[in-house]
Amino acid sequence: MSEHRIDVTINGRRQQTTVEGRKTLSDFLRIDAGYTGVHVGCEHGVCGACTVIVDGLAVRSCLMLAVQADGSAITTVEGLAPVDGSLHPVQQAMRDEHALQCGFCTPGVVMTFAALTSGPDKPDAEGLLDALSGHVCRCTGYQGIRRAARKLASDGGTERS
Amino acid sequence: MKPAPFDYYAPKTVDEACALLAEAGGGATVLAGGQTLLPLLALRMSQPFILVDINRIASLKGVSRANGATRIGPILRQNEAIADTTLRQTLPVLVTATQHVGHHQTRNRGTVGGSIALGEPAAELPATAVALGASVEARSVRGVRRIRAEDLYLGPYATSLEPDELITSIEFPDGPADAIPVFREVAQRPGDFALIGLVGSLAFDSGRISRAGLAWFGMGPTPMKARQAEQALIGQSLAGLDVRAIAELAVADTEPFDDRHASAEYRRTVGRRIFARTLSDALDVRNAA
Amino acid sequence: MSQAESHAGMIGRRLPRKEDGRLLTGRGTFVDDIVLPGMLHVAFVRSPIARGRIRSIDTSVARESPGVLAVFTVEDLDRIPAKLLSFYFAPPCEPPVPLLARGTVAYVGDPVVMVVAQDRYLAEDAASLVNVDYEELDPVVTIADAMRGPPVHAGTDSNVAAAMGNEQDDELEERLSKAPYLLTRTIRHQRISQSPMETRGVVVTRQGEELLVYITCQSPHLVARYLSLALDQPTLNVRVIAKDVGGSFGLKNHPWREEMSTIVGAMLLGRPLKWIEDRWENFVAANQAREQEITVRLALDRDGRMLAAHSDYSLNNGAYPQGADANIAVHLFMWAAYRMPHPGFHTRGWFSNTVGLGAYRGPWAMESLARETLLDIAARELGIDPVELRRRNLITKADQPCTTPLGIPLEDITPAECLDELLETLDVPAFRAEQAAARKEGRYLGLGIAAYVEPTGAAGSIAPMTGELAHIRIEPTGKVTALMSTHSQGHGTESTMAQVIADQLGVAYEDVAVFEGDSSRGGFGPGAAGSRQGVIGGGASRRAAAILREKVKRIAAHLLDADVDGITIEEGTIRVAGAADRTRSLRQIAEIAYGEPSRLPPGMESGLEAQYRYDPPPMTFTSAAHACIVEIDPDTGFVRIRRWLSSEDCGTIINPAVVEGQIAGGLTQAIGTVLLEEAGYDSRGNPLAVTYKDYLLPTIADVPEFEFLHACTPSKSEGGFRGVGEGGAIIGPPTLFNAIADALAPFGAPPLELPLTPAKILEVIEGRPIAGKSAETVVQAAPVAPPVVQEAAPPPQPAPSAPARIDGAWKMVLATPMGPQDMVGRFTTEGSVLRGSLESPEGAMDFEGTVTDSQLHWEMKVKKPMPITLKYDLVVDGDAISGKAKLGIFGTAKVTGQRM
Repeated sequence: MSEHRIDVTINGRRQQTTVEGRKTLSDFLRIDAGYTGVHVGCEHGVCGACTVIVDGLAVRSCLMLAVQADGSAITTVEGLAPVDGSLHPVQQAMRDEHALQCGFCTPGVVMTFAALTSGPDKPDAEGLLDALSGHVCRCTGYQGIRRAARKLASDGGTERS
Repeated sequence: MKPAPFDYYAPKTVDEACALLAEAGGGATVLAGGQTLLPLLALRMSQPFILVDINRIASLKGVSRANGATRIGPILRQNEAIADTTLRQTLPVLVTATQHVGHHQTRNRGTVGGSIALGEPAAELPATAVALGASVEARSVRGVRRIRAEDLYLGPYATSLEPDELITSIEFPDGPADAIPVFREVAQRPGDFALIGLVGSLAFDSGRISRAGLAWFGMGPTPMKARQAEQALIGQSLAGLDVRAIAELAVADTEPFDDRHASAEYRRTVGRRIFARTLSDALDVRNAA
Repeated sequence: MSQAESHAGMIGRRLPRKEDGRLLTGRGTFVDDIVLPGMLHVAFVRSPIARGRIRSIDTSVARESPGVLAVFTVEDLDRIPAKLLSFYFAPPCEPPVPLLARGTVAYVGDPVVMVVAQDRYLAEDAASLVNVDYEELDPVVTIADAMRGPPVHAGTDSNVAAAMGNEQDDELEERLSKAPYLLTRTIRHQRISQSPMETRGVVVTRQGEELLVYITCQSPHLVARYLSLALDQPTLNVRVIAKDVGGSFGLKNHPWREEMSTIVGAMLLGRPLKWIEDRWENFVAANQAREQEITVRLALDRDGRMLAAHSDYSLNNGAYPQGADANIAVHLFMWAAYRMPHPGFHTRGWFSNTVGLGAYRGPWAMESLARETLLDIAARELGIDPVELRRRNLITKADQPCTTPLGIPLEDITPAECLDELLETLDVPAFRAEQAAARKEGRYLGLGIAAYVEPTGAAGSIAPMTGELAHIRIEPTGKVTALMSTHSQGHGTESTMAQVIADQLGVAYEDVAVFEGDSSRGGFGPGAAGSRQGVIGGGASRRAAAILREKVKRIAAHLLDADVDGITIEEGTIRVAGAADRTRSLRQIAEIAYGEPSRLPPGMESGLEAQYRYDPPPMTFTSAAHACIVEIDPDTGFVRIRRWLSSEDCGTIINPAVVEGQIAGGLTQAIGTVLLEEAGYDSRGNPLAVTYKDYLLPTIADVPEFEFLHACTPSKSEGGFRGVGEGGAIIGPPTLFNAIADALAPFGAPPLELPLTPAKILEVIEGRPIAGKSAETVVQAAPVAPPVVQEAAPPPQPAPSAPARIDGAWKMVLATPMGPQDMVGRFTTEGSVLRGSLESPEGAMDFEGTVTDSQLHWEMKVKKPMPITLKYDLVVDGDAISGKAKLGIFGTAKVTGQRM
């Protein structure tokens, strides 16, 4: 068993703390840091609910140890919307398109969208849908998620499946 | 589903890592991308005493060219490999195969070396390494050795690496410049391990096949090289090719298994079909060129 | 009140959901988000074998493990008696379901020991140190095992968990044998994991006399009632909170073994406890559904008109079902939409050494799968177009009202009309041309069509299925607050109920806040079960809001010196017809209603609050017809869904986006059922799918864009609503199956066995065995015992030598499929004539029958829950009475009792 000091920035706030070597990043974010918007659906990297952005990339937080995030900047779903109560464009698109029901897988879906559409190399709809195949939603049948993907894509949604 | 306790080390150099592995005497596990290891830890199917995280070893990153080969650092992330301009040029098959590994999110962490070191029989990259004649450099405190990919795999998740050895690079020899990439995967959903997969490349000289490197994944306990088919293809012209007969030879070199997702007979049947289809497609590409 | 009266045009609009803001920003509150001071964490030690005796349990090492506060076995938990009940609040079966294993284990995953530690990591560490010594026994795994194997539960004589219907019906047999066309097929449905993305979980704390339980569930009200009955401690106040729930689909109807163990553990320790099921546990230990098979014999005339049918059905109940079940609903609704004059059935549930049976969206869906696939086969064999075959048999509007042979009254089902609408959009001849052309190119397209009806909004039939309560108030601020008995696990009832209320009150949707998810707010309701919340909660919202609207109008008329009929409320503004100067805001009226009672009409209660508990008609039917087009890759057997049309009639639609979301979700589960999902066991009872690598759920790449057609025939329920939650999961499987069968028609027929894996499809294409295992090492299944003849009750015994004393009052229990029912029987005898009365909570009824020595026989007709004849055969032995009652088509129930 080993304890390790880590220095991470979560949603723009720097935090120094110690973690046990075996603690997953998802448990650290939820339990130690209090970002319960990170949802744990399977703990074996398939469902995608725990997806967060680490140094600009969408990753499964259940498939990383917290200690591995030392020195990283992490964004969780709580870190997207501005404080004025408005929504991030990804969140707005998902709300407008009824892309969620129970909302458990939703934070992961939002983070994949956010990671891929925030930079200059925004993928087209096909690229977004390919990345979305890494998320399992048991409620919606993906209808609204697909519509949101089209809206958020660089090609403005010319894809037809 | 929480990992059992272990001591975690993140060495900065290969020497440090090798020293840790040597000291652990078989009780250590190497953590690269972690996209397969973390689930095994969470399910407590893997319970190492020591976890050696190699992600902070700078010398294990990157892609370089030397002596007619492309050298890949084992902790090159799969998505980095897909975007790498050198790899796109020299190893388009590897890039295509890597695009089929897991999902976008796992490819952001998952490494080329981790997948090759693990030896999942239905995974894309071990078979790609076998098909393209790659080799790995394995280091330990005892020294360095080079293992050909086809000698690396002994069985599912079993390799000829010793417990104290660390893969420090993967080398893919250059193929002919105009080689035609071959890749086909049959998987139930995007990101799943293959039910059946075929990967490799074909090269031509004066209208005849001059080199063939083909390997199956999901068709046996390890990546399966299609040796008989490769030999049968060499020297053949496009016109005289009996695609079905060669497909039959290709499947003869496999040992397909029954699992939850498909029967051995399904794998064999579909293997024949996709081999023939893939070969025809590849030859169409050649004809069009 | 008119059916579809809309006051503010709020009904039928695709408004954004109120839930989404918090869920999209990570500010929802799911059970694992609850953290209490001093909270400890639970992990379970689970059985690695399917069946065995526990020789010993050694917890000594685990107790010394770091961070461990307690290690409990079932004997420890026994200090606080807790009785697991079924969904009907009846004890589920005999022997009782233990919280933790008691001496024996009955499935892989059976919880044996509960460890409590400072965190989950430490709890799992300690759990791995508990040493349990088992004597392993051969398990009973499949339905076939259960039929011939030794009883799973000690002290029982067979594995029959529940049974109904007639094993032998000579009249029906004659109809079937004389029919010009008889089709017999067996359909096998695999085991399904409901697999909500949020697994089960509970956080519990005892604060004085309050037991506060946070639990992911389908209704906090139902869980509170369940816990009160299960714990049976008169001074205990149970409060249950479930704010956000990450899907359920039937799994979280009520607490089960692990949740109850955690609750008891918290009471024993006096510390808050948390148990969050992990995904592995969810696969091995959360109740599952659907493993079933049915043999249907369908008799038609040469024109395809239905003559008679018989279904023999079996359902794997596992070891500890959440209610022993023979799934009578399969048979009640099998032919409900069709003119089937003579349906018959025999239906049984079977115990096995597998995880127990739970509910799954549309629990009776097997009826549609069986019927609609058989109709396609019959159509092919008789050379009748499958659409035409359905049209000849479907009940149309012109046929109604009518009552089905099994007693279901139909007034306004519209499956035939839905089918017509479907075929106006789908050009079948064009598809057939495309299909023919594609076949010439070696491409295989198929079209599947299916139709069905679904009972929704059930209430008043069984104990938990009550009406719904809406408590609505216009606050002094003019904003509206509603406390609802409904509960969303993704259904969006916060939004749809707000839409209904805003519409009735004439206020902005944004100004209505709906609260649910706390048993201390609102009133009892069973939550999501049987597509009921839109119908009943919607009705309650309308009625309560209408009461409030009338009160506002009366106050406004009084204050503004106007006629009540001239008052309108729109967007929170009260206007008097023809008097613009007398316009007031709702807030102005509300401030007076609360703060200045003297200005209200004489005798009126102050404030603006109203509540209504709405009880709908017994059943409100939703109808639908679906079509699906697939393409099959002949090289791999892979199925690609190219198009899917849903033509449904769920009455007046509150929010089309919510309705379509429910249908799409159900259809996606149907796609998983037909193509991907399977939670099976090997012959030793080891679960074969314990991760999402093995249990394949549909992804975005597996699901097409669905096209929706809405018929919107208002129902007779308040507001005209019909339920829509389950339909997609019911009609989806046969629609997709039929499309695959149509695509494969040039090769042969696909097996009636789900899931249709690529290997099974390729087997049809190749015409040779492919899907089977090559060199299976067959592990010996349960030893074969002589067939056990099932008897629901001991047959009446020969009369004892001395004449029995029969006259007097008897306290008796009738073991119905929905749980035991208490009765008091009063008998008087006169020679061979028996006269008496039978009293139950539903009422009393007199009867006359016969008596021979100690044997009593009588018949009585009841009307509720449906018209059937009960035939009692009892025998008196001293002060004890026992025997059976034949409940019409519902089989036989055991009767026991004593002299009062």
